Amino acid sequence: MRYLPLAPAENQALLDVIGVKSPEDLLCGIPEPLRLKKPLNLPQSSSELDVLRQLEEMAGQNTKFSSRFLGAGAYAHFVPSAIDMLTSRQEWFTAYTPYQPEISQGTLQHIFEYQTLICDLTGLDVSNASMYDGGTACVEAALLAVRVQKKKNTILVSSGLHPHYQEVISTNIAPHDGLKLVRVELKDGVTDLEDLKAKLTQDVACFLAGYPNFLGCIEDTAAISAVTKPAGALLVSVTQESMSLGWLEAPGKSGADMACGEAMSFGNSTSFGGPFLGYLAVKDGHKREMPGRIVGQTQDLNGKRGFVLTLASREQHIRRDKATSNICSNQALVALRANIFLQLAGPEGLKGLAMQNAAKAQYLQSKLIETGKFETVFAAPYFNEFVLRYKGSANVLHEACLARGILPGLLLDQYYKSLADCMLWCATELNTKQEIDELAAFVASMKA
Amino acid sequence: MALIPKETLIFERSIPGKTGMDLPRLDVPVAKDTRPAHLKRQSFEAMPEVSEVDVVRHFTRLSRWNFGVDDGMYPLGSCTMKHNPRLNEKVASLPGFTESHPMAPAKHVQGNLSLMWTLQEWLKEITGLGAVTLHPAAGAHGELTGVMLIRAYHISKGAKRSIILIPDSAHGTNPATATMAGYTCVEVPSQADGTISFDDVSDSHTGKSKKGLLSLIKEHGREIAGIMITNPNTVGIFEYRIAEIAGMLHEIDALIYMDGANMNALVGVARPGDFGVDVIHLNLHKTFSTPHGGGGPGSGPVACTAVLEPFLPLPVVVRTPNGFELDWNRPRSIGKMHSYFGNFAMEIRAMAYCLSHGSDGLRDATLRAIVNANYIRKRLEGVYHLQYSTPTLHEVVFDDNNQSKHGVTTLDIAKGLIDRGFHPPTIYFPLVIHGALMIEPTESESKAELDAFVEAMANIAKEAETNPESIRQSPAKAPIGRLDETTAARKPILKWTS
Repeated sequence: MRYLPLAPAENQALLDVIGVKSPEDLLCGIPEPLRLKKPLNLPQSSSELDVLRQLEEMAGQNTKFSSRFLGAGAYAHFVPSAIDMLTSRQEWFTAYTPYQPEISQGTLQHIFEYQTLICDLTGLDVSNASMYDGGTACVEAALLAVRVQKKKNTILVSSGLHPHYQEVISTNIAPHDGLKLVRVELKDGVTDLEDLKAKLTQDVACFLAGYPNFLGCIEDTAAISAVTKPAGALLVSVTQESMSLGWLEAPGKSGADMACGEAMSFGNSTSFGGPFLGYLAVKDGHKREMPGRIVGQTQDLNGKRGFVLTLASREQHIRRDKATSNICSNQALVALRANIFLQLAGPEGLKGLAMQNAAKAQYLQSKLIETGKFETVFAAPYFNEFVLRYKGSANVLHEACLARGILPGLLLDQYYKSLADCMLWCATELNTKQEIDELAAFVASMKA
Repeated sequence: MALIPKETLIFERSIPGKTGMDLPRLDVPVAKDTRPAHLKRQSFEAMPEVSEVDVVRHFTRLSRWNFGVDDGMYPLGSCTMKHNPRLNEKVASLPGFTESHPMAPAKHVQGNLSLMWTLQEWLKEITGLGAVTLHPAAGAHGELTGVMLIRAYHISKGAKRSIILIPDSAHGTNPATATMAGYTCVEVPSQADGTISFDDVSDSHTGKSKKGLLSLIKEHGREIAGIMITNPNTVGIFEYRIAEIAGMLHEIDALIYMDGANMNALVGVARPGDFGVDVIHLNLHKTFSTPHGGGGPGSGPVACTAVLEPFLPLPVVVRTPNGFELDWNRPRSIGKMHSYFGNFAMEIRAMAYCLSHGSDGLRDATLRAIVNANYIRKRLEGVYHLQYSTPTLHEVVFDDNNQSKHGVTTLDIAKGLIDRGFHPPTIYFPLVIHGALMIEPTESESKAELDAFVEAMANIAKEAETNPESIRQSPAKAPIGRLDETTAARKPILKWTS
């Protein structure tokens, strides 16, 4: 077996030193009746070539689309070549959590830079080293809010928050007796401020809203904050398409107390939904309630700048059942991809790229409207995703697009009953004018 | 490291006007600015202006301050730092996988679903359990999922329970997980041989009596939802009374959660489902060779008995006569645990690992991991103190008892290993061993590497006697000296500011 570097003679030498005849003798700690008596009922080992062929065949069973207009929390963006090249260095991808700072300064400095960039994007003070994904980041934000808002037991979420994130929050607060999840209605595609006001009782610890929300609409963080602040609820701004933060003001600068969400858009592929990159940023006053790893700057004994994992007394390996979270492994390598991406882009690159996303989406919308087959649903401004109502059966159109090799926008009635025949369309810098024109021509050719 | 590169923070290299990304030519009209004035992005305060050359050199230089598995033995106990096959990286980056979208209809992601289903089948056979979910994104996330299955089980029987038993040798994520799942943790002490104590034990330091498993079961009875057991435990010892423990707990309808962090000692040799375990998480980034990535992404699939299957997170991959589908219609499910289906690209890597090894290779890898650990144990026994004489499997936990006499601690030994070219073992864990040095070589090490490691450890022990100061001064050859962690925590600097 190519991954096992012991020749039979060496193996024997080891056994001789240990003083046993066979490796099986070393299983003596496992009571005999509990040992497996027969081989696992699985195929035998395979060569590299055979495994490659088998997995290529599986990869080939997925439909290859000629163009993609689906986002809904997983966005196809261009990945600069440097990212794969750099992250395939073994020093990055084979290392573990930087427990030994003297030989992990690369990872530690990377995370420190990543934390800095997340703070910059969100306009907040403190970021951790990453969370699993957008949904679980929302859970941690909500639980953090409940911890700091002592005696408040209600978590409010906008119905415009990614429905999967809502479900992940719901699953994770279910075990906590007394915690309640309450949904705030939408009006014209964004949070209904009147409904929000009505539900902001003194028990509300926090309110989570998308920015932009799942329907692509840009929520007015400032207006929401003007409602949540007087009620004493923390505002959590959730961004599922982080590219939009090159277009939109940092949530922390327009009143959000916390920001979290999904940053896969920076240098990653859609990859069937993972690994993605959850992020979480808070104000300085909440840093000791943060979940997960945090890297801080310090000095070595010669006064040289260096970085370490810090504020560990929040964490599971120290605090055990009193920890702020159980998270241990996070998404460090995905954060590295995002870090490289953001450094390559720089402030102008990110703003420019975001502008291109907005331009592509606006063009897509105008072309689809031009077909006469669609109508707009919401007037709210959007970034690179928007809802249109199809004047025929959206299911039929959806199937036709798929059959044509086009991955169309999401059918929304599965998530919002009121949005029958509505689709969530997305365009990014990857969608060419030609792709969009072809889609529009195809839609125009559909029988209504 | 012959040449240690110097590098600043990227922010300190920033010069206005540089960029590392040229935008594509815009082939559609420029965007109309539809943003409300107060929601327009104004400025960035830190985002650097650097070229691609700067960025590539930056991350190449930083990388050289890291020690990776390919640099040499990385014997972090319980972390299973085995070789990361390059084929796995290659298959995970096949465009058919990377370009697939999690919201695409099942009919168009049959390859992904087929892979997930197949991997689930392999993990069922390996664990001897009836059902698997791949959604958890890491080990701790798997623990949380697993314990929530236990909670759902008891609720379905009309009796919510409040307590989870956790051995004192457990990884910190276990108690943290139980709390997140709404339980109170009750600690079970270890006995003199390093396994779970059935009887009450008196604490050697405080003299206080701690209740053993039997007393705890008697005291808490049907308030106990389950026990979280790591097996082999964090000392590398198989909990040989596991079947008995399972029997006693099943008697009161409490369930057995197994932390599968140490499953590298059991694959192909013994199956948790055969010794009474109801639910277990596996770490694909440990046992199944997916790379650790500097701290993630991991992947923590959960396997459980058929009884717990109805509670699995949404959606579940199922095989039907018309191909693979995602089953969302499962009213008893705990709900969603991940935004999509977990860290899918890690699942691809683990599948490649499984296919490469096969039934024969998986067992062989386990046996070799056990042989390697026992070789180190045998050669260093006596040089380093061993708290328990009980047989161990894939790892061995020494401590600094012999060296602390000379003023050399576990931390010093770890730093001394750095100067000798090795990544240190896991230190000061498990907590039941004072000054623990937890060594897990894995099956990836050759005899030559093992011998070199043993010699380095022996050399440190010798110097601890003859020249302890040299060990206390280490590391001398690392890119940086020992760091002031106290100040870092007391006056935290958590981001760069201009």
